[in-house]
Amino acid sequence: MRAAKLRHDRRLSRLPALLSAAPPSPRPKPDVQALSTRAARRLNRGCAWLSAAVLADSAVEHYRGMFFNRAMYAPLAVSSLTLAASVHGGSDRSGKSHPVRDGIYALAALTGLAGTGFHLYNVGKREGGFSFENLFYCAPVGAPFALLLAGLFGRAAERVRDTAPGDVPQLFGLPAGRALAGASALGMMGTVGEVGLLHFRGAYHDPFMFLPVSVPPAAAATMAAVAVQPKRPRWRLARLLLRLVQGLGFAGVGFHAYGVHRNMGGWRNWSQTMLNGPPLPAPPSFTGLALVGLAALDLLEERHD
Amino acid sequence: MSEIVPQVPRARDGRAPDVFHVGGWVPMREYADDDEVDFAIIGTGAGGGTLACRLSEAGFSVVALDVGPYWRPLEDFASDEHEQFKLYWRDERIVDGTDALQLGRNNSGQSVGGSMVHFAMVSLRFRPEWFKARSQLGYGHDWPVDWREMWRYYGEVEEALKIAGPVRYPWGPHRPRYPYRAHELNAAARVLARGSEALGIKWAPTPLATLSAPRGDAHPCVYRGFCIAGCSTNAKQSALTTWIPRALAAGAEIRDLAMVGRIELGNSGRVTGLHYHREGRWRFQRARHVVVAGYSIETPRLLLNSACPRFPDGLANSSGLVGHNLMAHSNQGVYGVMEDEIRWYKGPPSLAITEHWNYTDEGKDFHGGYSYMSQGPLPVEWVGTMTGNRGLWGEALQREMQKYIHQAGLKIVGETQARDENRVRLADEKDRFGLPVAHVTFSYGDNDHRLIAHAKRFMRDSLAAAGARDIWAEESETAHLMGTCRMGDDPSTSVTNADGRSWDIPNLWICDGSLFPTSGGVNPSLTIQALACRAADRIKLLAKRGEL
Repeated sequence: MRAAKLRHDRRLSRLPALLSAAPPSPRPKPDVQALSTRAARRLNRGCAWLSAAVLADSAVEHYRGMFFNRAMYAPLAVSSLTLAASVHGGSDRSGKSHPVRDGIYALAALTGLAGTGFHLYNVGKREGGFSFENLFYCAPVGAPFALLLAGLFGRAAERVRDTAPGDVPQLFGLPAGRALAGASALGMMGTVGEVGLLHFRGAYHDPFMFLPVSVPPAAAATMAAVAVQPKRPRWRLARLLLRLVQGLGFAGVGFHAYGVHRNMGGWRNWSQTMLNGPPLPAPPSFTGLALVGLAALDLLEERHD
Repeated sequence: MSEIVPQVPRARDGRAPDVFHVGGWVPMREYADDDEVDFAIIGTGAGGGTLACRLSEAGFSVVALDVGPYWRPLEDFASDEHEQFKLYWRDERIVDGTDALQLGRNNSGQSVGGSMVHFAMVSLRFRPEWFKARSQLGYGHDWPVDWREMWRYYGEVEEALKIAGPVRYPWGPHRPRYPYRAHELNAAARVLARGSEALGIKWAPTPLATLSAPRGDAHPCVYRGFCIAGCSTNAKQSALTTWIPRALAAGAEIRDLAMVGRIELGNSGRVTGLHYHREGRWRFQRARHVVVAGYSIETPRLLLNSACPRFPDGLANSSGLVGHNLMAHSNQGVYGVMEDEIRWYKGPPSLAITEHWNYTDEGKDFHGGYSYMSQGPLPVEWVGTMTGNRGLWGEALQREMQKYIHQAGLKIVGETQARDENRVRLADEKDRFGLPVAHVTFSYGDNDHRLIAHAKRFMRDSLAAAGARDIWAEESETAHLMGTCRMGDDPSTSVTNADGRSWDIPNLWICDGSLFPTSGGVNPSLTIQALACRAADRIKLLAKRGEL
């Protein structure tokens, strides 16, 4: 009985290799430090996409809200800094964390948290309270969440970078690969929640609006499974789904540009339709989260290679 | 000022205007006057437009005639309240009674698409008990239809118009989710919400027939605020932009600028067709069936004017009820000034509603119910309210108008009772076609006055609770029309059966708001369309059984 199960497992573990065209070839043992740094840089790039999305989105939406409250400038300033730090980190080959980057990421996380609080207050004080209609039209509760994620993943990038040669990077007392796999799954589901709510507001009038509430959840589920049981056969599927999510972040901008065109006056009337139509900068958050997930897989590869 | 109104028909030579494109056309099937079409429909509004669509999609040959022009909203509608009066029925009518109706603005239209072209888009279902008002609530008359059946057809119409409504509707039995989500509330709607919450009653975003997301060639609402002056963006889902394009695609012919003057009765006791005026001359269209869908004034007017030796008091009028029991909704507003800027002209005029007094029977000293909604009159309309109701003029008017952007208001759609003395008959005077004009008599009854007083008291309290000051109430105002050709189960007390088929003439039908036995406390358009969809299904069934 036991022997049969083991055999079965072994067969499963060979499945990805069987599915791939090229036969598995022995790879040279990679340099652990270089792999940690590569994963950290990938995390930084993920944070760059997240903070760029926050910067563009909050700039447009808070401009639309006429910067009614001075605190509405905060996400612009902080996401600009986060973007700069992330671009810097993305090209930094050093094996050591950077204190300024680290500080900026902490600030981003705190700002994201505070923003969520502000947005919740904005919804709750409106007539009707936490009704669907207020969640649609008041300050979007899920938007500052992207900045919080950028901050948290940025901090994680710095920790991973600090890994001593020969050590397995750790986060929250877990191997970093598993921790990040789980965190990317959670982040993706949070973003899916926001997209689901806003696409529901748009009544899913276009069938393509179902894509970001179906592909990312599949990726998130796979990443969650990887976090719980980091078995190799899952990685290939996870990678494939993350690549799809990454592409979806770009494609979403195209879909939203088409959505803007479907408003009165189309792109000729851009100064109104860009504000009233679907937000162009929102979808790249998925690209950022996919990069975080891919970085998590990199770290797992490192551990197993 | 010269209005831009088409003087010659646009729907002819095998094509009709494409409402979604400037200067655009769509192909249209045409019938000769000598072709005996299955259905000739008079009127293309909520009743006729809907029926034309559903019957042509069922494979019947259909010609639908309307005296109004065929607009392309994108090019024909201006952001100018006066210019847009061209959408109203402005041919002469005689009105009297202690509450003589002001006809045009909020109760009758003259366009392909009917008065839906300038309706406020409020799309509400009747309270189920209203369909059995007499037996369950003790007033008015029972409808010959079951509410569950109507509930199904409401669902169909809401889908066809992509009604934008709240995720959860707080009154009445379960209803399916509205196809599109509710619009964002404007500040005027939030005043209603605040007042309701202070008084402890429920409120909701109003289900509206204007898009909150793209649909085909129609754009989502841009909150321009000219809804009842005619939507120039096609976000409004009227018969003109929904049912009629579908009807054309299914092979119906629409004849614009075509006034029907008389329905002809043959020797067999069935009608044979109709006389209509188009392009300067009278013509005769043959038809196997004639459907009258001209609404509560024009429908009885045409039936009365089609009197013949066999029906000396008007076609299908053996009951003597044609033209009687005219109902209008009471429509009094209560207004006040808010500290904050409200700018109530932004967006659709009635974004929030409470149906509390439609669904609550305790604490009333009257029969029936009422809903009330937030308001957003444009400046010219508001001036009319100020001068008409308060007699303001000159400097006093100017001072009052300066408060325009701080004004908020609530207005009822109040149920009135069907009363025999409120009626439509023919006057001696003739219109531009040489047809006798309608003489319309309307007065509120005692019950109506009690309902209005209750509503005004309650709305005053609500506005005050929301923080308004300088609160005042309108005296006499009405909206919508219902009744004059009541449907029922008994030929002696009604004009048609539940299908709108006249008891007297088996191939003469009525399909519009004149069928309503009671008026309900909600805007009538959704119910008219639901009745039309139901009638179409019944006609299909009867045709299959060979009972047409």
